Amino acid sequence: MPHPVYVPCVNINDDIVLIVDIGVSAGDQVKKGDPIADVETDKAVIAVEAEHDGYILKILCEADERVGVGSIMMWIGDSPDEPVPEVPVPAPADTSPGRSSVQPTAKARALLEKHGLNAGDIPHAGDRLTAQDIEAFIASQGEKAGQPDATKTKDIGESLPGVPGSLQPLSAEEHGMVSTVVWHRDHAASAYLEVEYDQKNWEAYAGEFAERHKLMLSPLLPLMAYRLVEIAGETPKINTTLVNGQKYQYDRINLGFTVQVGDTLYLTVVQQASGMEDKQFIEALGEVQRHAMQKKLRSEESQGSTIGFSSMARWTVSRHVPILAPYTSLMVAHSAPAREGAMAVLGASYDHRVLSGYDVARVLQELAQPPVRD
Amino acid sequence: MDRIEIRNKIRDKVVALAKELGGDASQIQDEDIIPATGLLDSAGILALVVWYEETFDMKLKQEEINIDNLGSVESMTNYVLARKGEV
Repeated sequence: MPHPVYVPCVNINDDIVLIVDIGVSAGDQVKKGDPIADVETDKAVIAVEAEHDGYILKILCEADERVGVGSIMMWIGDSPDEPVPEVPVPAPADTSPGRSSVQPTAKARALLEKHGLNAGDIPHAGDRLTAQDIEAFIASQGEKAGQPDATKTKDIGESLPGVPGSLQPLSAEEHGMVSTVVWHRDHAASAYLEVEYDQKNWEAYAGEFAERHKLMLSPLLPLMAYRLVEIAGETPKINTTLVNGQKYQYDRINLGFTVQVGDTLYLTVVQQASGMEDKQFIEALGEVQRHAMQKKLRSEESQGSTIGFSSMARWTVSRHVPILAPYTSLMVAHSAPAREGAMAVLGASYDHRVLSGYDVARVLQELAQPPVRD
Repeated sequence: MDRIEIRNKIRDKVVALAKELGGDASQIQDEDIIPATGLLDSAGILALVVWYEETFDMKLKQEEINIDNLGSVESMTNYVLARKGEV
């Protein structure tokens, strides 16, 4: 069976990466773990490794080409003469509706940029999104769709500040952040609420867990995130989003967990977290956190979150209101107690189109206490 | 790299990471359990583990990251040597 090799996401804010080198040719035999290509972002060059033993069937990109994160860069087959599927298989990690792993042509990318459009919103006939596809889409949508993205150019382009300065293009990370914030602003009806709670019970629970499993890292936040996954399993409503006026119920729970590495914020993702035991979840989260610090996140480790958990306890902020990741309805915000003995705060940003304050308050109150295990 | 060099390198890194967090780990003993000292938070310990893998060129499985293997400067030193087959 042919296995697709996806263009990896080095961090959450990358839309496009540069293929620096392709280290294999069609027909080459590879083993799992063999380096097969190098890709580059603004931050790092990382090696893409074969995830299966087999033979390179077909290579769909070339060195010096910019390609979309999550698109298929090559196929590996169990035998050298397997047929390559004609229909591109969507990246399994990206469960968000409306997104697409389609790779736009260079001209199409320029048009997307010019009109502030998302490749995933535009129907396309072939394997790649072309300028003709975009022009047809704009024509079908009328003037409205063709308006430039106000977040990118309108305010600055029409009226520069009176103070001397220079315009600079956004980095891939900054561009991704803008996209997330704009989804939050333009699509979600975002609201926020919080509850106070005594963190002592959680600290005792996490301390006992750490001792029992001889853990190096405090499992407090991972255990709270895992509890959120359990609550989402019991309350599917919080694991939904809204698409074109209809509820979209996710059939899996992918937990997004923020990780700050230097000046870059990652939303790491533990896929299908609801099928895991607590220890297994903690190990899976530890793995993606290490990959984030190494700037070696795999695409499935940074895409497709369906619910989120964020903490700024390390920076001792008393409150933070997180931005909702696109196509999620709940992002829990953990903060540390302001001082010894003080109450801690659990907050949540939520999409009020999907969840009410009552729904979210119940989730937070439940999350405020560690679970009672047998 | 011999045992003393490895140990000094690890201790220096713990001290440097603690300093970034505003702490002073210069008096840390080789047998002190690093997480229990409170000198490094979880992110600091994670940074130490990632540095350890890169510096000594070894990939760790998640289940290897525990107190027994990496809990102290001494155990981290022993673990490098064991993995390199030098113990």
